[in-house]
Amino acid sequence: MTGVASDKRPLLLVEDLVVRFRTHDSLVHAVNGVSFELESGETLGLVGESGCGKSVTSLAMMRLLPKPAGRIEGGRVLFDDFDLVTLPERDMRDLRGREIAMIFQDPMTSLNPVLTIEEQMVETIQAHRKVSTLQARQRAIELLEMVGIPQPETRLRSHPHQFSGGMRQRVMIAIALALEPRLMIADEPTTALDVTIQAQVLELLRHLTTETGTALILITHDLGVVAGMTQRINVMYAGFIVETATTPELFATPSHPYTVGLLHSIPRLDEERPERLIPIEGTPPDQRRAPVGCPFAPRCAWRLEVCWTDNPALEPLEAGVRLVTTGPGATHRIACHNPPTPEEAAAGRPLRDGFVAAAPPGVLLDELAAVDDHVAALPGEEVALFPGDEGPTSTGPSAAGLPLPPEEGRR
Amino acid sequence: MASITAPVGTPVPRVVPERASRGLWRDAVSRLLRNRPALVGLAIIIVFVVVAILAPVIAPYTPLGRDPGQVFKPPSAAHLMGTDRQSRDVFSRILFGAQISLTVGVVSVLMGLVMGGTVGALAGAFGGRADTILMRCVDVLLAIPGILLAIAIVVWLDRGLLQIMFAVAATNAPIFARILRGSMLALRESDYVVAARSMGAPTFRLLFKHMLPNSLTPLIVAATLALATAIIDVAGLGFLGLGPDDPRIAEWGTMLTGASSFYRQAPFIILFTGAAISVTAIGFNLLGDGLREALDPRLRR
Repeated sequence: MTGVASDKRPLLLVEDLVVRFRTHDSLVHAVNGVSFELESGETLGLVGESGCGKSVTSLAMMRLLPKPAGRIEGGRVLFDDFDLVTLPERDMRDLRGREIAMIFQDPMTSLNPVLTIEEQMVETIQAHRKVSTLQARQRAIELLEMVGIPQPETRLRSHPHQFSGGMRQRVMIAIALALEPRLMIADEPTTALDVTIQAQVLELLRHLTTETGTALILITHDLGVVAGMTQRINVMYAGFIVETATTPELFATPSHPYTVGLLHSIPRLDEERPERLIPIEGTPPDQRRAPVGCPFAPRCAWRLEVCWTDNPALEPLEAGVRLVTTGPGATHRIACHNPPTPEEAAAGRPLRDGFVAAAPPGVLLDELAAVDDHVAALPGEEVALFPGDEGPTSTGPSAAGLPLPPEEGRR
Repeated sequence: MASITAPVGTPVPRVVPERASRGLWRDAVSRLLRNRPALVGLAIIIVFVVVAILAPVIAPYTPLGRDPGQVFKPPSAAHLMGTDRQSRDVFSRILFGAQISLTVGVVSVLMGLVMGGTVGALAGAFGGRADTILMRCVDVLLAIPGILLAIAIVVWLDRGLLQIMFAVAATNAPIFARILRGSMLALRESDYVVAARSMGAPTFRLLFKHMLPNSLTPLIVAATLALATAIIDVAGLGFLGLGPDDPRIAEWGTMLTGASSFYRQAPFIILFTGAAISVTAIGFNLLGDGLREALDPRLRR
């Protein structure tokens, strides 16, 4: 999976990242082998619904997973030749803020309520630079000015509760840019803001990262947000990257059923005759089970028999092309056994004659029935909501260590 | 970097009208001042503290001074709250008793805060095994009823003011430890602590600048409420005969015991002493509740 496009090393290389959360009675498979690359100054969107592992991926890269439950259980995160997975905590702390900075979702809670903006900004600057408090303060004023906060000298002495949400997010951006990091991770930076403020903050973020040449990873559930902001997009589902492409390419030819579903479930204003929204039925899989088969299969209208048992790898859409992992010419890749055709993608449903999404393997139903009577009474579709463990070779849910009774698993 | 400014197209964000630019604490104080019961509590406490400090000035008699022949005299102009068996002025003794209650109460709560706070902060800041070990010890202490623990400690260390203070501190410390640990643990994963970590803030700063100040408010409330129980505990120890080693010292609990055998001849002694204890305790309770409302953002409005 390493880049073969150029000899230039990417700024960031995430390789087979696996993150799991252990609690006393369950194991959550949050990120299941995610790989991607990012070059200096590039902007990348991580898109997916809640719980798909996009935030966990970024927290893992920063080694900020909640301890002791969250753990990186595999893979590498190379940043500038350092493997962030194995880097000593002391070096990691030095890297945070200076090389990689992060902006969080809720600006209302991301600033310490008892400290003034000045204390928090000066603290960040002085944590990494040996400068006097006066110099740090001067820098803080510059930064506030840069993010468009009027009267920065006065505002510096304010407490966070004296700012509105949008203003606080500007302060967060100012803090994140304080040390001119090479990579900025923005985790849903506008989700908690008023719609009217969202565009301003996004524009500011884009403007500043472009100006400073900072690479940006923008995490969001909103395809509309990444559309105008990023050069490339990774679509994530249940801890996997299911589709990756340049932003124009992804919107022009969405090729994974999940991406197609996402695009059809948001209203578009630029169409002459608005079509009906097509919701994605069902819910994401219970990630407390080890993934088997394609994670999207239970909700997929294009699924084949093989989708239940084999999770497809992320492969180029067109076979035989030279793999480019970064930049404007990045190869469009999807993880799908039966990708929708462009016509089907446009329609949002399979158009092939007589095509019916494959029912879960019969063996699954029989085996479940052998263990639990009332599961057998369900239609196949619903049983399919927890296909994860059941390969044809296992001997039933108990053997697979199903942690949940079927009643709970169904919802 | 300085040359970079907000893009031209960006509308200038609206400055939030500053609500008289108050800090967090100023806000809390103004909320407290609007709370009538808390003000009553505050008034009681102020009276209590003033009385304790000025007792030698305002008391008509010394706490040990006898007025020969005046045994168990009911309240009168000369003796506002009557006299006791040793013909001492009850009013003066209650005023001087406030000194003991105040010192022992405050010192023991402060000791408890230091002891419990250290344990709780360590457990909450580091979590994991340190947390498990420290908190199990705290659980053991919490399993013993407070007054029993205090009695045991005073019996073990022998009678005396310092011993009483330590005993009362030991009953409060586990409560403080648990409160601080809880808020520190919650703060460890809070957005702004994670955000500060994401900017490379050193552990020391995280602990003392970000986590500790934000976990103090529940502790302040608990300490105020603990002052009420401390005063009752001290009186309780005195009542059980475990008061200051010199039985003649004016201490409310000891006075209560002394008077209890003679409640038929002189019920007013019990009445006045008991009232002093309860009113002071109620004062701290009212203020504590008021502080809780003023400081806890979830209870606002």
